[in-house]
Amino acid sequence: MPARRRWLIEAAIAVGAAAFVLPVALIFLTAFKSETEILHFDSLLPSQLTGENFSEILASPEEIPIGRWFLNSLFISSCVTLLVLTVSSLAAYGLARLRLPGRRYVFAMIIATMMIPGQILLVPVYLILNWLGWLDSAAALIVPAGGGAFAVFLLHQFFRNIPRELEEAAALDGCSRLGIYWHVVLPLSRPALATLGIFTFIGSWNAFIGPLVFLDSVDRYTLPVGIALFQTSYWAEYGLTLAASVICTLPVIVVFLLFQKHIIKGISLSGLKQ
Amino acid sequence: MNGGGSWRRLSGYLFVAPYLVLFAAFVLLPVLFGLGLSLFRWEMLSPLAPEYIGLDNYREAVGDEYFWMAVRATGLFVVMAVPMTIVMAMTISLGLAALNKRRALYRAAYFLPVMINISVAGILWRWFYNSEFGLFNAYLAKVAARFGTTAAKVPWLSDPRVAMPSVVLMTLWWHVGGPTVILLAGIKQIPESYYEAAALDGASASQRFTHITLPLLKPVLLFVIVMNLIGSFQVFGQTFIMTRGGPELSTRVLVQYIYESAFNFYRMGYSAAMSWLLFVAIAAVAALHFFLLRER
Repeated sequence: MPARRRWLIEAAIAVGAAAFVLPVALIFLTAFKSETEILHFDSLLPSQLTGENFSEILASPEEIPIGRWFLNSLFISSCVTLLVLTVSSLAAYGLARLRLPGRRYVFAMIIATMMIPGQILLVPVYLILNWLGWLDSAAALIVPAGGGAFAVFLLHQFFRNIPRELEEAAALDGCSRLGIYWHVVLPLSRPALATLGIFTFIGSWNAFIGPLVFLDSVDRYTLPVGIALFQTSYWAEYGLTLAASVICTLPVIVVFLLFQKHIIKGISLSGLKQ
Repeated sequence: MNGGGSWRRLSGYLFVAPYLVLFAAFVLLPVLFGLGLSLFRWEMLSPLAPEYIGLDNYREAVGDEYFWMAVRATGLFVVMAVPMTIVMAMTISLGLAALNKRRALYRAAYFLPVMINISVAGILWRWFYNSEFGLFNAYLAKVAARFGTTAAKVPWLSDPRVAMPSVVLMTLWWHVGGPTVILLAGIKQIPESYYEAAALDGASASQRFTHITLPLLKPVLLFVIVMNLIGSFQVFGQTFIMTRGGPELSTRVLVQYIYESAFNFYRMGYSAAMSWLLFVAIAAVAALHFFLLRER
């Protein structure tokens, strides 16, 4: 390809990339503007940096318990990640590496549910959680997440390719099946576990419809639902909602910048391994 | 084989058991429960006991004007969002694939919005779209002022004809990164030597695209289209945050109607029936996908 053409392509790609990043940057830039400056828009950059939006939302924890929401989100996402990694890796190990009778059918049934849209489950899961007495608690968001099929599918694909010899050698050394899982399979699968862990954490952190439906008390909200609710009562106060948005978005952006390769690789693989 | 051996084989299921319990309780059971529920009149706040009514919930949906409005809004979103997403993702990924340097950097830039959750993204764009003091109209006014005129205020989210296209535009920004990354990975899997051979034979860039890239990319492309279709049928967050389904219900999509039937009006049976209708539509799309794949 001629160099000039390559430059033209890169210029177009760069302009597009800037257009995609700019709205994200605006969350941060605008959160440091004063309310009047937001309402009388003149330039993308704040004429004067102010922390007043942040001090205002942090100042009234009774009305806007944003610190509480942050901790709720952190707690729920961490528990979901831990639960998903544990139960899914055990199940994927059993289904991929042990000669369980009928495992083919069990695996096929699990995979078949990946097609089912979450909305189908919304009402019945709500009623089941109601019956268990878990509505309006963190358990309502944590425990059902462990039943998702995607994690088992992803780890199954990965575990399948681990050479048998490694397991056989460990078994000769007197390693139990649990020992093989823990000392051989898990250490070899670190990249897959990391990708899955990051995915699960971000997915749970950003989850919206589940927390919206299953939680009731303002105190128990996660950040996305808290912010969405907060937005309805502070309809036009964009400075405040954007300051809250910064608190919600910053952790995800940090995770993304740190683990960008894992995240993008995970997404790419989902399309290639069918 | 002795008894101990088969016990050992079965006991391996202990590894799978914790997952299977959760899977049964929160996936399998809800699917069946939801199907059963759709055959009952079950109003949670009413003193009436749940009653078996056969297919009446489905009949009600077919005759429900609001159901069809929601179908129409969802269809409008799908018809606009899916082709635009795919064309845009294809264009960007071809551009990225042509670069030698800084590809990872640009790819991350296009993917960044996918990381932003819907509350934040929706609130941000509601501000962009605000007709009085939003970013877009402020810029239009500036541009108009430069030409010595005044710009009319675009009713981005307040006109029933404009609202859905505005939602689609926001969705493109929010989610084009996902399909882009997948398509790029697919394009990079095509061996460079194919292109070199075609170039030697004097094939033009567009010939190389239609005769090498497109056919070899077909499985990945179909996957991306189907995933995007399935996701788009379930659109909810964008409209819920930015428009609450308005104006004049023009953006109240199916999932929002399902949500409101269940959690505002507590009509659990009717809501479950509508979710099953949505599921059937999605399953039909997935079936079409497998059919097209087999065509190959």
